[in-house]
Order: sequence, then C-alpha cells, then structure tokens
Amino acid sequence: MSDFYKFLSLILFGITIVFSQVKLDVSTIPKRVDIYLDGVNLGRSPISNERIKPGLHKFEIKKKGFAPLTYDLLVNPAQAIKLDFFLNPIYKIKFKTEEKGLVFELNGEHRWDVSFIRLDLEAGDHFLRVFKIGEIIDEQTIRVDEPKRFNYYLKKPLTSR
Amino acid sequence: MVRILNILKKLLPGFLLMIIFYGCSSFKGPIYPEIIYNNRQPLISVTYEYGEIKLILPLKYDGAVPDNILFKIFAQGDTLHPILSILQEAPKEFLAYLPQGVLDIQNNTNIIKIIPQDTNFDPLTVRFKGIRFGRLTLPRKTITMGQLVISGTTYLNKNDSLIGGASISLQSYDNKINTTSSNQSGYFQIAIPGEYKYAEHLRIVAGENLIFKPFIQKLDFTQSRKLKLKIGLGPSGSMKEPLYMTNKNNVHFRNGPEIGSKTLFLLKEGEVVSVDKVTPGEYFGFIEVALDDKKLVQLDGWVNRTDLRLVTFRNIYKNLIE
Repeated sequence: MSDFYKFLSLILFGITIVFSQVKLDVSTIPKRVDIYLDGVNLGRSPISNERIKPGLHKFEIKKKGFAPLTYDLLVNPAQAIKLDFFLNPIYKIKFKTEEKGLVFELNGEHRWDVSFIRLDLEAGDHFLRVFKIGEIIDEQTIRVDEPKRFNYYLKKPLTSR
Repeated sequence: MVRILNILKKLLPGFLLMIIFYGCSSFKGPIYPEIIYNNRQPLISVTYEYGEIKLILPLKYDGAVPDNILFKIFAQGDTLHPILSILQEAPKEFLAYLPQGVLDIQNNTNIIKIIPQDTNFDPLTVRFKGIRFGRLTLPRKTITMGQLVISGTTYLNKNDSLIGGASISLQSYDNKINTTSSNQSGYFQIAIPGEYKYAEHLRIVAGENLIFKPFIQKLDFTQSRKLKLKIGLGPSGSMKEPLYMTNKNNVHFRNGPEIGSKTLFLLKEGEVVSVDKVTPGEYFGFIEVALDDKKLVQLDGWVNRTDLRLVTFRNIYKNLIE
C-alpha cells in the first residue's frame, strides 16, 4: 500500500513539475540554427514543445555568416512563450580607393591603409573615418544591406555597385 | 618572339605554384582579419500565451434554495478587492473563468464568498489553493439556511431573581431538536437548523429539571431568525403562601370538596396551588392560568390533600429533592 502512495506521490510531483513550466517554441531566420539555452544545446531551430521554467534565462545562437546573438529573457509564468529570432547577416564587402596616403577606420577600432581590402561586415550601419597624416579628413556612415563593393573618393559620398 | 615564349615558359611553373599556394586571393586583395560588428540590436519577437483558469464550485442546497446568490472571488488573501463578482440565480454549479496568474498557487489564500440574497441564509466562505491555469474543481459546498437562534434569561416569577442551570430544549412535537441550560447568570442561547423556520409545532420548553411545571411556548421564526425570550419559572409573586404543588399528573381541581363535585381542571405534576383553606381531606386554594394574551388569572378550587406537597424555595431543582 505504501508503494502505491509513493508511486502516486511521484506521479503528482511529475504533474506539478510539468504544469509549473512554460511551453517554449523557438523559431529563427535563418532556420536550422543551434539554440543554446543557459549553455545547453536545445537542438536546431525550429524548436517546439520544449519546457522552460519561469525566471531569468540566457539564449545564445551562433551560425556562420551571421552575427552571434545573446539574449537574456525573464520568462513570466504563462502557458506558452514563442520566440522569433532574426539573425543579422554578415556580408562580404570590397572596399577600394584610388586616393593615396589614407588610413581608414571603421566603428572606431578597425583600421587599414591599403587601397583595396575585403571586409566581413555585419548588416546595418557602420561608421567610417578617414585619416591623412594623423588628421581626420572625412567621416561617413556606410549602410551595409547586401554584398557590395565600395569605391571611396576623398570627401565624396561612398559609391557602391 | 621565340625569346618571349621561352621567358613565359620559364615563368609558368612559378605562376602556377603561386596560384596553388596563395589561391585567387592574391588577385582579390587582402582580407581584413576580423568580422566587423556594429552591435546592431537583433530583431527578436517574444509572444506570451496566457491560459485561463476554469473555476468550478459544485453547490448543494439543503432544503430551501435562495433566489439569487452573489459570488465574490478574492485572490492572494486580499479580502477588500474582489477580482470577480457575479450575481446570478442559485446555480447547481458556480463557474468562473479567471486570467492566468491571479490566484495564489502556494497557499489557500484565495477565497470565494457565497452571499445568498436572502435573509434566511448566512454568507459562506470557501478558501482554496489556486492553480496556474487549467480547470480547478473545488469540493462540493452545501448551502443551508442560517441557524435559528433563541437567547434570553431564566428567572423566578416569584421574585424575578435569575435562575441558573434551568434546562432549555427546543422541540418539534415531542422530538427534542436541541437542548441546553442557562448559565450561572441565568443566560442561555440555543440554536437549531434553519430548516425549522416554517415548522408549525416548534416550541421551547424550559425548566424541566425544576420542581415547577415547565415553561412551554410556541415559537414563530417567520419574522426573524433570532428571538429573545425572558422565561419566568415557578409561581408568580401574586400567589400567596403557603404554596403547595401537585405531586403527580392528572390531579383533579374541583369546584367543591364533596364527592361528585365537578372537576374544573386536571393538573399536571408541579402545578402550584396557593392554599387558602384546609379541611381534613381537602385543600381549597388558587391556581394560575395563563390566557392567550399571556395574562395570568387566578382560579379557585379544591384539591385532595394527598395530591399536594408543600413547596419550599430552598431547593427548586428536582435532582436535589430528597
């Protein structure tokens, strides 16, 4: 008889655990991306019918060709939660100039001084500074939304093709 | 021309070697060694789906059914601000839908107040432990009419002094529904289920444990569920001493001492007679008779001496009599 009550307790405990969690669905663009929840691999997206406890959690997503994503989320007590992640792509950019003696700086930290270079840039806006003999001679914002080639001419807006 | 071709032939292996080791990149220009991020906030969509709580409280009506009931649901121990109030005809099952997360799921601090819209019923409270979402069926609750309560004091008619320990019982016909006795201060309170509200033969009987005739009065709860009574026991002060009391039931109270005289009343045991004259075999005296308007009148008559015994107020309780 006591075994029966132990079994019943276990069943009830299991039911309590299941019902105290929140149903989790995760979708990503692009698809088939490894999802890490609190450091544990949940599998590849899309993920459905997983369970998550209410509270603070960390999602991490890494895929070649896209900017890595880290997202801290406080999960509220709810019946279900659905997450959609849109990863930022990284585009291959060619940067060329005919000008001589220039140093280029992107986003305040990445520098080069060659007339032609290939860059891997996250989609979105990037801030370009141009130096000549240690002085800033130009500042521009580059918008990257596809693989493209930029041609730089001194103090003229960047042209792309 | 031949010389040029010879030079190219000599350079070709080196050119091919350069292609093999450095690939096409030697023509495309250098690659910046890092991926350059702009820390753009990624697009993330978070959608919550909240469930609901289906709360079910089965109800049972014991006897009468109130017309309408007001249900109030309180959560998390807050008894001031109901999260839901519903007035409806008395249902067999109270059903309410609550949003997820409003109930305390750790302790039973959630409350349903059942307030029948009928003065014959008292409000009820159901405490329960909530769930996060889903269906929650509570144990059946029985709704009964409120208790009928009688309170008051017992006192001695002779001098209005309070009597403690006088037995009190509520009876329907001869069935005792509930009994109690007055306390040292003569105070008593007794209650019976509300279903007796409309009983026609409901009465209170007091002082059965006293030497006097018990006090009996019909009860009428149609106007109120609470009654107050002052119960006078024993003979009134207008009965002059010496006082005698019948020692058995069906004692003949006659209009003359002679054999064959007319019997006016058959007296029960404990009836008090104020004796005025004595003959060798009979007592002449007065008894008190209560009229319908509770007014007492004295009637005179004759009683056989052997049917009476002298009343002493030192002990008025039956169990203390020798």
